[in-house]
Amino acid sequence: MKKRSVSRIPPLFMLESAKLIGAGAATIASAGAAVGIGNVFSSLIHSVARNPSLAKQSFGYAILGFALTEAIALFAPMMAFLILFVF
Amino acid sequence: MFEKFPRLFLFYENSLNSSATSSRTPSQSTTTITDSSLQSSDTQGSYDGIFEDHPGLNPSSERIVELQSDIREKLEELLINKSPDAAMVAAEALHGESDNIPFMEFILNDLNTNGVESESYKDALAALVKMVPSPLEQFEIIPFFPMKIGDLYFSFTNPSLFMLLTLSLVLLLLYFVTKKGGGNSVPNAWQSLVELIYDFVLNLVNEQISGLSGNVKQKFFPCILVTFTFSLFRNPQGMIPYSFTVTSHFLITLGLSFSIFIGITIVGFQRNGLPFLSFLLPAGVPLPLAPFLVLLELIPHCFRALSSGIRLFANMMAGHSSVKILSGSAWTMLCMNDLFYFIGDLGPLFIVLALTGPELGVAISQAHVSTISICIYLNDAINLHQSDSFL
Repeated sequence: MKKRSVSRIPPLFMLESAKLIGAGAATIASAGAAVGIGNVFSSLIHSVARNPSLAKQSFGYAILGFALTEAIALFAPMMAFLILFVF
Repeated sequence: MFEKFPRLFLFYENSLNSSATSSRTPSQSTTTITDSSLQSSDTQGSYDGIFEDHPGLNPSSERIVELQSDIREKLEELLINKSPDAAMVAAEALHGESDNIPFMEFILNDLNTNGVESESYKDALAALVKMVPSPLEQFEIIPFFPMKIGDLYFSFTNPSLFMLLTLSLVLLLLYFVTKKGGGNSVPNAWQSLVELIYDFVLNLVNEQISGLSGNVKQKFFPCILVTFTFSLFRNPQGMIPYSFTVTSHFLITLGLSFSIFIGITIVGFQRNGLPFLSFLLPAGVPLPLAPFLVLLELIPHCFRALSSGIRLFANMMAGHSSVKILSGSAWTMLCMNDLFYFIGDLGPLFIVLALTGPELGVAISQAHVSTISICIYLNDAINLHQSDSFL
């Protein structure tokens, strides 16, 4: 009976660890989203500094770009959750 | 593969014992071996009493292992929609560390004769609920009134309920606002909300779809307004605790985006006739390049149908799951009855509060983004290659 615990856990144990590693690796993708969001707002500041009269219009575009980038950013946690809890 | 394991190991253990017998006292060496191996593999739970048991010397242990694997197999059979490790966890919870053969025989009998109705099965389910708390549970579809029309599964489920709820909410709002022949000339709060939404979508359509006279453009307005209002009200409603997020289901968002995609293609053919197919080839491309470019243009075009569905689904699912995980951790810390955790609990609690704000923002901005992308696709289908859009 101790045999059972000794012999059966290792494969599942490996699977569990592999899941955790995979979920962790999935979150690396957030780095790209961080760069993207930073890029959106730095471009906004640049363009507003050059032409302040377009501030309002560019802000609308920036928010749209931010929302699109952020949507992609959320793919990373989604993959992590799917790996952790679905499989 | 799994059922082979216990016996294999028993076998191994026996041979190990016999080799140990030649050198030292058998019982001692067995205990030390199991001791160390247990420590390395014991992940959770307590294996009380395991040290008193000497499997090599115990003639009934093979029967115990057999019974345990039988229980697990039976549970695997019964828990069809669960994974094998879930069945293992359940089996573990059922027989625990008991080496009481009649008890396990009783469990096995109960499972075999009563199946899903048995007490043991219910216990196993309860153990599963306790041991595998998944943040994805909230997305479970539960049929309220099971119905079947032929082979079609036509049940009234919780997504249907919440979709009806959203729809009735919006319709009621519109009804009360326009009650006396179109509302007041000085709007109250509710009326200005509806006017705001209407105005917002109207501006969106006018801005994004170009090259048509106002009247023609407005043909598309009702469809876009309905899509926008639905996701605008549907997404934040999912943030209410214990409610259900319809748009977190791939099936539903994909159904929405695919039907819109098909509709846009039909509109494109209607407006342009067969020349609509020229959207596959940018203007002024040398002919030898055409086959590649058609393929290259076709892939992103078809991917549009997928992308707007996936975007909405991923946003809703990831956001709701992370809020659920964090609030679960806050609740667990609060329930630990420890002053240190009680004070530290403010951290996760604050993060949950802070996350709820962006989550609402995401819910609303996703409605906006998906509407804009629908307008852009529509514009592309109507005005071939003359779009000045930035996406």
